[in-house]
Amino acid sequence: MSSQQDEAQGTLLLPGDSDRRGWGTAHGHHGELLQGVFEFAGSLHRGLVTLPCPIMSTEASVVVTEETPEWTVHPPWKTKALLAARATADILGEKAGGAVSVQSNIPTGFGMGSSTSDVTATIRAVLSAFGGTLPTDRIARIAVEAERAADPLMYDRMLLFAHREGLILEDFKVRMPRIKVIGFVARPEPIDTLALAPARYSRWEIESFRALRGMLRRGAAEGDVAALGRAATASARLNQRFLPIEHFPRLLQVTEETRAAGIEVAHSGSVAGLLFDAADPNLAGKTDRARRELLRIGISHTWEFFTDGDDERLPDS
Amino acid sequence: MSAFRIRKPFTDVVDSAVLPRLIHLSGDLYAAAFQLMKLLPAQFVLQRALEQGQLTERSTVIETTSGTYGLGLAMVCRRLGLPLILVGDTAIDSHLRRRLEALGARVSIVSGQAARTGGIQQARLDRVERIRARHRSPFTPGQYDNTMHANAYGRVAELITESFPQVDALICPVGSGSSSTGIAGFLRLLWPDLVLIGVDTPGSVLFGAPNGRRRLRGLGNGLLPKVLDHSLFDEVHWVPAGDAFAMTRRLHADHTLFMGPTSGAAYQVGQWWTRHNPGGTVLAVMPDEGHRYQRTVFHDAWLRREGLAGVETPREPTEIAHPGDLEDRWSRYAWRRRTRDEVVDLRAAVGTR
Ligand SMILES: Cc1ncc(COP(=O)(O)O)c(C=O)c1O
Repeated sequence: MSSQQDEAQGTLLLPGDSDRRGWGTAHGHHGELLQGVFEFAGSLHRGLVTLPCPIMSTEASVVVTEETPEWTVHPPWKTKALLAARATADILGEKAGGAVSVQSNIPTGFGMGSSTSDVTATIRAVLSAFGGTLPTDRIARIAVEAERAADPLMYDRMLLFAHREGLILEDFKVRMPRIKVIGFVARPEPIDTLALAPARYSRWEIESFRALRGMLRRGAAEGDVAALGRAATASARLNQRFLPIEHFPRLLQVTEETRAAGIEVAHSGSVAGLLFDAADPNLAGKTDRARRELLRIGISHTWEFFTDGDDERLPDS
Repeated sequence: MSAFRIRKPFTDVVDSAVLPRLIHLSGDLYAAAFQLMKLLPAQFVLQRALEQGQLTERSTVIETTSGTYGLGLAMVCRRLGLPLILVGDTAIDSHLRRRLEALGARVSIVSGQAARTGGIQQARLDRVERIRARHRSPFTPGQYDNTMHANAYGRVAELITESFPQVDALICPVGSGSSSTGIAGFLRLLWPDLVLIGVDTPGSVLFGAPNGRRRLRGLGNGLLPKVLDHSLFDEVHWVPAGDAFAMTRRLHADHTLFMGPTSGAAYQVGQWWTRHNPGGTVLAVMPDEGHRYQRTVFHDAWLRREGLAGVETPREPTEIAHPGDLEDRWSRYAWRRRTRDEVVDLRAAVGTR
C-alpha cells in the first residue's frame, strides 16, 4: 500500500503538471441480491441489483497535463479507467490530458465490482479536476462504454440496473436497508466476468424473476430485510445452474440453521454472503452461530460489514 | 427522481384486465379476483408465439375450447387482428357463443353424431386436426399441453410477492392446471413452505378420482393435462356443484364480490382452511366474474330445476383414504406433493371397497 502511494506521489512531480488536480472515490459491492432478465418498456433486459459493500473502495486522483492531450493511468493495466478518463474529458470538451492514479482495496475476479469502482472513481476524479459535473446516468453510460458491462456503483440507492446497457430498469428510490453481511469466498477460482457467457435462461426462469422482483420491491419499500434475503436466496438458487457453487446445498443448510435472512452470491464472481437484518435483537447470536457453522463446512476466512457502512451503530433492540 | 408514480390510462383492454385484484375478505382470507383469468395465458402464449415466429400475420389460431379460454383468445386475437377458429360442442353456452362471434371468432360445433364413435373430446381434437390441415399457417395454443400457459402467471406471482409479506396457503381451482402450477411454482421459489390446495370436483379425473358427469364447469377435467404439475399440491378438495353454487351466492352476499362458481368453490375451501389454520395468510384464486352465471348459479328457478336449491354446505369435508373412493360430496385428501402415479398406485395398498 505504501509503495503504491509513493508511486502515486511520483506522478505528481512530472514536469509540465498543472495545479489542476482532482480526486474521486467509489465503493465496491458484494455480488448481487438479484440477477436475471427483466421486462422494461415492453422488452426483456439483463439486469441486476447489487449489494453495496462500503468496506471496499477505490480512490482515484488526476493531475491534468496542460500541454499534451495524452492520458496515462497508474497502475498501467487499469486500462478501463484510462478509457473512462479520456471519455469524460472528451464529453467535457477538455483538450488537456492527464495522469490518473488509481488505488483500490477491491480484489479482481471476485465479482465485487473492482473495475466499475475504478472507472467510477476515475470519472469523478476527472470531473473534479476540471470542475465539471455530469448527471449520474451519464456517468453510468461512460462506465458501460469503458467496461462493456458496469455495476450501478455510481448511484447511491437501490436499483434494478441493466448492466450491459447502463439503463435503470427500476428505481426502488431508497438506499439499501441496513443489512449485516458475513462474507466469504464460495468459489475458489477467480472469475473473468467478461469471459463468462451470459446465462441462457429458460422462459420459466425468466418469468420467475418477476416474482423475485416483486419481493425485492416490497423489501425496499418496507425496509423488509427478510424479503430481500428470500429474493437473494432464490436468485442464487436460480442462477446455480450457470455458475455453480460446489457446496451450495450445504450453504443453504447453514442459511436455514442460522436463521439468516438469506444468502447472496456474486453471480459472476467468487464471493457470497449470509444476510442478517441489522435490527434483529439477536443479531450477535445469529452471526456467532453463522461463523461457527461456516467453519464446520470448511470456510474459515470470513469478513463482515454493514451495507450502510456504519459499523459503529448498534442494532436497535 | 420523484417519490411516487402517477397512474396512466391502459393502452389496451386486455392489459387492463389481465391481472387480478387482491382483496382482503375477512380474517386471514384474501382473494385474487380476476375479471377473466384466461385472458392472461391467452395473451402470453400468443405474444410468445409471435416473438418466436410460430405465429405470423398470416396465421389462423385454432383451438378446442368452449369455455373462458376461448373468450380470452377471442379478445386477444381481435386486438392482434388474427383469425380465430374455436372448436366446441353442442353444450356451448349460447351467450358466450354470441360474444365469441361478435369478436370475430368462428365457432365450429362438433355434433353428437361425430362424437358417437370416439367420445366428444376426441371428436373435437379430430375436428381441430381437419381444420388445421386446411390452413396454410395454423397455430394451436394447446391450453392443456403447452406448458407456456403456466409461465403466463409470473406476473400474478409478482403482484403477490409485492403485496404480501407472506402467503401461507394458496387455494386454486384446477382445470388445465396452468394457473395453480404457474403461480405456486413461482411462489415456492420464495416461500418453499407455501401450502398449495387444489380445488377439483367429483367426476373429474385430475387427481385420480373416478370419471363421471360434472355439473360444476370451469374446473375439473375429463382428461389429464400435461400442464398440471401434481407434485406441487399439498392437499386436494373436491367440491360438488351444489356446494360451489351456494358458496358463490354467499361470496356475493357476504362480501359483494360477484364471481363465478369456481370462485365459490375456492371460497368454500378458503373459509374452511382459515378456520383450521389461524394466523396464516390464505389467498384464494377466483378465476372469473359472475355475469355469465346470472341465469344459472344466481337464478333460483334454475337452481330448483337442477335440484340444487337450498343446498346447505357442510361445515367439514369428508376425509378420504384414497381419491378412488370419492363420492359426490365435499371431500379432502392429503396429496403431499406426490405425482399422480404415486397416488394412484396407492390404490392397491388401500384396497377397493
Ligand atoms: C372459471 C374458471 N375457473 C377455473 C379454471 C381453472 O384454471 P386452470 O385452467 O388454470 O387450472 C378455469 C379455466 O378455464 C376457469 O375458466
